[in-house]
This record gives sequence, structure tokens and C-alpha cells, in this order.
Amino acid sequence: GAEELALLEKLLGLPKGNKYGVQGERQVPVLQTNNGPGLTGLMTIAAHLVKQAKKDQLLGSTAEEKAVIQQWLEYRVTQVDGCSGKEDTRIILQDLNTHLEDKVYLAGNIFTLADILMYYGLHHVMVDLTVQEKEKYLNLSRWFNHIQHYPGVRQHLSSVIFIKNRLYTNAH
Amino acid sequence: MGFGDLKSPAGLRVLNDYLADRSYIEGYVPSQADIAVFEAVATPPPADLFHALRWYNHIKSYEKQKASLPGVKKALGKYGPPDVEDTTGAATESKDDDDIDLFGSDDEEESEEAKKLREERLAQYESKKSKKPAVVAKSSILLDVKPWDDETDMAKLEECVRSIQADGLVWGSSKLVPVGYGIKKLQIQCVVEDDKVGTDMLEERITAFEDYVQSMDVAAFNKI
Repeated sequence: GAEELALLEKLLGLPKGNKYGVQGERQVPVLQTNNGPGLTGLMTIAAHLVKQAKKDQLLGSTAEEKAVIQQWLEYRVTQVDGCSGKEDTRIILQDLNTHLEDKVYLAGNIFTLADILMYYGLHHVMVDLTVQEKEKYLNLSRWFNHIQHYPGVRQHLSSVIFIKNRLYTNAH
Repeated sequence: MGFGDLKSPAGLRVLNDYLADRSYIEGYVPSQADIAVFEAVATPPPADLFHALRWYNHIKSYEKQKASLPGVKKALGKYGPPDVEDTTGAATESKDDDDIDLFGSDDEEESEEAKKLREERLAQYESKKSKKPAVVAKSSILLDVKPWDDETDMAKLEECVRSIQADGLVWGSSKLVPVGYGIKKLQIQCVVEDDKVGTDMLEERITAFEDYVQSMDVAAFNKI
């Protein structure tokens, strides 16, 4: 929610000062702006911040890229944030793992807002995974490890350890 | 290090395995390391090696920027998992028919290096050896110094004897040995370097203390 947006601000190099509130039962973040009604919703605010920081490339350059990024942002907010329970989590991790099999970043070859928000959204899940689980979702682990090393992303969040345990190598 | 032959299925498998949990060959950003390996791979890896394929497609997207990527391109053998043997050796050129040329240029180069190393080590050894001092011939001498009478101040006598300084002469312990009639002789040990100090010289100098010393004898003479 709001803490995440603060992290994002810092990553983007924006000065502090934005005021965030929350709305409703599900604690949807709201950004108070000076002119006009506040902006509501994680995705919306995040995209706004990116543009504020003039880092539009994080939102994709081609129409296709933009669409893919939006898709993953939506996934983050609807599936990841809305998930409750082990089964749901497992499905998400499996989904992402499959998707990341042939991609370095969520949107393909570029680092985008999708990676950032998915990282923040999944952090609490990844922290609790066992070694076997991390090995099982190999692509996801690879991607996560990569993103957490990206300069400015991790900040104060704990670093999740990924070790490649040779005992459980996949047989392809 | 190295992946083995990246044009062979075995090499690609090593690469695939290596890239399973890595986005790039080195570190977390694309670099010359990736370019070096990419160029060695040349064609897209097969679909079953999907980590390698993922990486390949990704690096391909950087094709235009490849000159500006960070890092320095190193020999292929420098990348990859540390437990794989570096089979590239001196040859980064295309593989010939005689890969298995055991007595070929690889060895020559190696022995030259080994030779140089050996020579260096020899030189070091020599210099160390020459610095080491030659073994010096030494002797341990026990001297008997006799005073005039029992009233001679033995402490003073010893002092005089010990005052004799010479290069290669080291005084040792001493004791007073009674000889009769209350007279004590001074028995004193010394270590001398044969080349530098002789018993004649010692005798001369000790008996020079005429007030205290009546005579001097060599009680024992042992080569060390």
C-alpha cells in the first residue's frame, strides 16, 4: 500500500512529500493531489509517479509492451494482493514461474514497473518459501533474485537468499 | 571455468544449467561477458534448453548496444561455473581436426610458462642461499686462570678477563675452583671463532693483567 509507494518514490528518485491516505476496507491507497480529486489505486498512483519521475520507459515503449505491463500490474493487484491461502499462492507462483521461463523480465527484455511492483508484492511470500520451493519455482527465483539486486529496488527490505541446491536439480 | 565447447550439446547444457538461476553470465546487468558467450554460442540454443534460450533471446535484444555494455571481454574460459574444466586453453580460434593434439602448441606454451616459473624460483633460491652466512668454525674453550695467591681479588680478576673483547669472542659462564692452600683458580668458558681468535692471543691478553694473573692454561678445547 502506502509504504510500497514510498519505496517506489525513493527508487524513482522523487522527492518525498506526496501524501497518501487509504480508502475503504481493502486499504486502497489514495494520493492527495493539489489540483483535483485524489488518485486512487496502487497501479494508478504508481504509473503517475513514474511519469512524474520522467521514467516513462518503465511503462513500456511499444503498445504491446505497455499492454503487457498493464496486464502484470493488474495481476499483481487482483491476484497477488487478493490471494489468501496456500493454494492461491501456489497457483500464482506456478503461473509466474511458467511465464518467466523464457523471459528475463516480466515484460520480456526490459525492466519495467511490472517487475518493481511484482517484487514488492511478492516479497512477503518469497521470504517464507522453503529451499525446495524456491528450487521448484526456479525461474521465479531467478527473476526475484535478479530484481532484488537491481539498484535502488530492495532498499530496506530483507534480501531473500537463493541457493542452488544441487541435490534437487531438475532433470530436463 | 568455461562452458566447454559451446557449439556442442554438452557445452550448451552446461550453459543452460548455469543460467537456470542467473539472468546474466556475470552479475545482474548485461555486460561484455554476455556478449563474449553470446558470440561463442552463435545460434539460438534448442528449445529444450530453455534457460539458455531465454538468455540468448534476451541478449540478442541488446545487439545494438553491445559495444556500450560494461565490462571487458575476457577469454571464454574465464566465464561459467568454476567446476567445469577450461578446455579452451590457448585456442580461441576455430576448432581444427586435431583437437587432441597432445603435443601441440598448447603444451609448448605451457612448458614455456612453466620454464619461466621454474627459472624464477631458482633465481630466488640462489639469492637466498648466497645471503645465508657460511657455517663458521667455532670452538668452546675452557680456560684456567690462576692468581698469585689466595688474597687476590678473584672478582676483580674475573672482571679483567671478561674485559677482554675481541671479534669472534664470547665469554660464557665461570666458576671458582679451589686448588689448595686457599687459592682458587678461575675457570671460565668462552666461545671463539677459530678464524678470528686463537688461544695464543687469549693467553697473551689474560696474562697481561700481571697484578692478578699468574698464569693461564687451556683446560679444555672443544670444536663446535
